[in-house]
Amino acid sequence: MSGNSANILDIKNIEVMYDNVILALHDVSLKVPKGKVVALLGANGAGKSTTLKAVSTMLASERGKVTKGSIDYDGNLIEKQNPSQMVGLGMVQVLEGRRCFGHLTVEENIISGAYSRKLSKGDIDQELEKIYTYFLRLKERRKSQAAFTSGGEQQMIAVARAMMAKPKMLLLDEPTMGLAPQLVAEIFNIVKELNQKEGVSILLAEQNTNIALKNSDYGYIIETGKVMLEGTAESLLNNDKVKELYLGISKKGRKNFRDVLKEESLNKKIN
Amino acid sequence: MNELLFFMEVLVGGLLAGTMYSLVALGFVLIFKASATFNFSQGAMVFFSVLAFCGFMQDFNIPFVLAFILAAFLMVVVGLCTERLVLRPLMNASEDTVLMATIGLGYVLEGLAQAAWGVEVRRLDLGIGDFPVPWIADNLKLFISALDITAGLVAAIMIIGLFLLFKYTKIGLGLRAVADDAGAASSIGIPLKHIMLLVWSAAGVVALVAGMMWGARAGVQFALVDLALKALPVLIIGGFSSIPGAIIGGLIIGAVEKILEVYIGPFFGGAIEGWAPYVLAIFFLLYRPEGLFGEKIIRRV
Repeated sequence: MSGNSANILDIKNIEVMYDNVILALHDVSLKVPKGKVVALLGANGAGKSTTLKAVSTMLASERGKVTKGSIDYDGNLIEKQNPSQMVGLGMVQVLEGRRCFGHLTVEENIISGAYSRKLSKGDIDQELEKIYTYFLRLKERRKSQAAFTSGGEQQMIAVARAMMAKPKMLLLDEPTMGLAPQLVAEIFNIVKELNQKEGVSILLAEQNTNIALKNSDYGYIIETGKVMLEGTAESLLNNDKVKELYLGISKKGRKNFRDVLKEESLNKKIN
Repeated sequence: MNELLFFMEVLVGGLLAGTMYSLVALGFVLIFKASATFNFSQGAMVFFSVLAFCGFMQDFNIPFVLAFILAAFLMVVVGLCTERLVLRPLMNASEDTVLMATIGLGYVLEGLAQAAWGVEVRRLDLGIGDFPVPWIADNLKLFISALDITAGLVAAIMIIGLFLLFKYTKIGLGLRAVADDAGAASSIGIPLKHIMLLVWSAAGVVALVAGMMWGARAGVQFALVDLALKALPVLIIGGFSSIPGAIIGGLIIGAVEKILEVYIGPFFGGAIEGWAPYVLAIFFLLYRPEGLFGEKIIRRV
């Protein structure tokens, strides 16, 4: 039942409500071409996580609902499916905040990702070895309890766990949150590698605009539940507005939003 | 020397009686692990399952082993119905709602059991007497009930069985994952309904075993429902989410209540084993609310 279109994911004008009253997404449309990495950018509360959860059907467990629009994944219209059916269709979400199983060992965490697949013990070991080639650091720590690993390692566990389900598409929700720059780079290298070698399509929600765009093919910027701007990663990186508001680089040497505001208020006083 | 022997006898008797509490508490822990809910119907499940077992044996003359298998199967069916009719519709409801639902479920089970099998107290003879084992009495000079020893052994076997199930099977891994983070577990495709079905069935079988032990001691009767209450201090001391905690908690309650009863009871006019465990539980709530083995409760502010 695989779709023949070039897009593995096609979201058309969705609106999402929580508890039937709180409007979280107004109008979001986006496409993820097969085998590509697409970045979904925006500040806290812009609707990035909500968009991802609408796609993975995790919304229902938070009393959220897609009230308008449609989501087409790999030829399937997403309506009444549940998360475990979506995993069966090859779509896995890596939730925000890593969410490892703290009392399980690193290896048990990763193996749990294969729960939906019917694999023999030997197959699982084989898959594990393959996963470890991407996550060398995890192999060293395979017997530790996940709760005692570092933030970066936990993020790797979460991605490795999702990869064990053999996804066609990964939804990554803020994989670099709270990580040191070196680890951020390491995580992105792994994501890029998984995309290229395993052919996984990736929809990536990030606040870290710069590094996200540098590792993506296409980007969408959303604010207050609406897509404000979209384009190829390169064009967004060179866009003046994006540079100023999200990347903190501008000709005037202003570094962030606060500087922009400060400067404006100074100008007002002088005038 | 006699003093010491007597103390040993009280202690061992208490510890073994405690394993009977542990058996009941075990059922609670299973469900608490998977759904973070205190299952108020556990006592009713004990009553329901053992009454059905008695009914099969006494009303239909089904042999012991077959009756046990039938009753265990019945509890799996109860688990299946509970998942389908109670838990699934309440999937996204708060834990409090599920808690209230288990109270209702308890009444339904009590009613069903009595409607099907009648209300009179039944004797359950497991072929194990509730009197001292002569061999131990002769050689060690301790008077310890055969039923207590059996309960201890059965509890040990169940714990080892559950441990193996959780540690080495796929569904056990799924259960531990759900216990840690149900949201993350469902995000990687672990079907919560299978896990719920497993724990409710397992809790049902554990209830059956606990009911058989208690039924053999006190008769199969409605009062078994209140057994669940005795498991509460056990859980508070051991921790709601820990299987070893249920065992140790049961042992502590068993030993402490017997020792207090024998040595301090006379100063209060006796019969303090009915309330002494709750006093102990209150101290735990004040100074160690997560229990001995419970997971530390961490909340981000």
